[in-house]
Amino acid sequence: SPMVTGTSVLGLKFCGGVMLAADTVGSYGSLARFRGISRLLKVNDSTVLGASGDLADFQHLRQLLEQMVIDEELLGDGHSYSPRALHSWLTRVLYNRRSKINPLWNTVLIAGVYGGESFLGYVDMLGVAYEAPSLATGFGAYLAQPLLRAALERDQERDRLPTREEARELLERCLRVLYYRDARSFNRYEVAVVTEKGVELEGPLTLEANWDVAHVV
Amino acid sequence: EWTAEPVSTGTTIMAVEFDGGVVIGADSRTTTGAYIANRVTDKLTPVHDRIFCCRSGSAADTQAVADAVAYQLAFHSVELEEPPRVRTAARLFQQSCYRYREELSAGIIVAGWDPRRGGQVYMVPMGGLLLRQPFAVGGSGSSYIYGFLDATFQPGMSRSQCQEFVARALALAMMRDGSSGGVIRLAAITEEGVERTVLAGSDLP
Repeated sequence: SPMVTGTSVLGLKFCGGVMLAADTVGSYGSLARFRGISRLLKVNDSTVLGASGDLADFQHLRQLLEQMVIDEELLGDGHSYSPRALHSWLTRVLYNRRSKINPLWNTVLIAGVYGGESFLGYVDMLGVAYEAPSLATGFGAYLAQPLLRAALERDQERDRLPTREEARELLERCLRVLYYRDARSFNRYEVAVVTEKGVELEGPLTLEANWDVAHVV
Repeated sequence: EWTAEPVSTGTTIMAVEFDGGVVIGADSRTTTGAYIANRVTDKLTPVHDRIFCCRSGSAADTQAVADAVAYQLAFHSVELEEPPRVRTAARLFQQSCYRYREELSAGIIVAGWDPRRGGQVYMVPMGGLLLRQPFAVGGSGSSYIYGFLDATFQPGMSRSQCQEFVARALALAMMRDGSSGGVIRLAAITEEGVERTVLAGSDLP
């Protein structure tokens, strides 16, 4: 059973790459106990991972991944794990743990750019895995995913993906909605952007909230 | 009734880092249900010369884990031929607390001084997460003082300011939490050593 948990992680593909966003709080039940935790992990120069759910299990995953990446670098053959390979590996790990009735209580988004192609995948604690141009975990699945999909559909009609700036703004808007409506969220967040050039981690940034509606009511 | 309840250190524990060391503090009440089994408990347990842990949760679980970690650290320190790092101690706690997370009920704060990084505070809450923080609180009584801590804490406090901060926070928590009480045990850990004090009755802020 989860103890210290992280809430939603959002993911969105854009023209040129993928980006992930997550807030920086670790909740102990309803208490916002740890307010400076990073839930986005840079795995290698082509991939980032964002986790929600139990943060102790996330730390365990992080240790496993870091060791894997080190072992791979030691091989020195110039190859690094692709986002798709990591997604596949993670699916196996999480599914096998659930099959032993001892799950890693996490829902994970994997984002990356490899071989010119951008990748965005989802794996949860049951081992359910899929890819999509926009993804969200936790509360985000209910609140943010519709917003993300609507934006993508509008762009699809014009046969394009959002630009980097549009995607960034959209993610921020979704995080704001989640801050308004998710009781376990917080207004400090981080964003990770992956492009051909590599991984950029921005943050921690603070969300501005608009409370004007309070005066109308 | 109370004989059936497990013995717990329903508690308030706290640790604050300052330049040159750490200040740690705890209350002194151990309960079995509503009966106070020990009113003068020492929850500040040394695991090495300059590394302490503050224990909250099940008394049995935390004592067992602390004993195991103390043993591992002593061994490690002999192999290393130098005082162990606080981070190592915290990592050892985390490994036990994470592996046996379903069986254990232990919320632990590891704090101490080492020559490499000076004073450090690490939090290992239930579940087995490991986090370094400038200050940490734990135990049932901690819920009541989050507001006070958020309002009063400032980074860069001196040793005496930290001691006063910890004493005030613990006193407030003990007042409101039925599972915390007794005396306040404080300890200041620096390069020079460990200085322990007890604040009782009228000494309480």
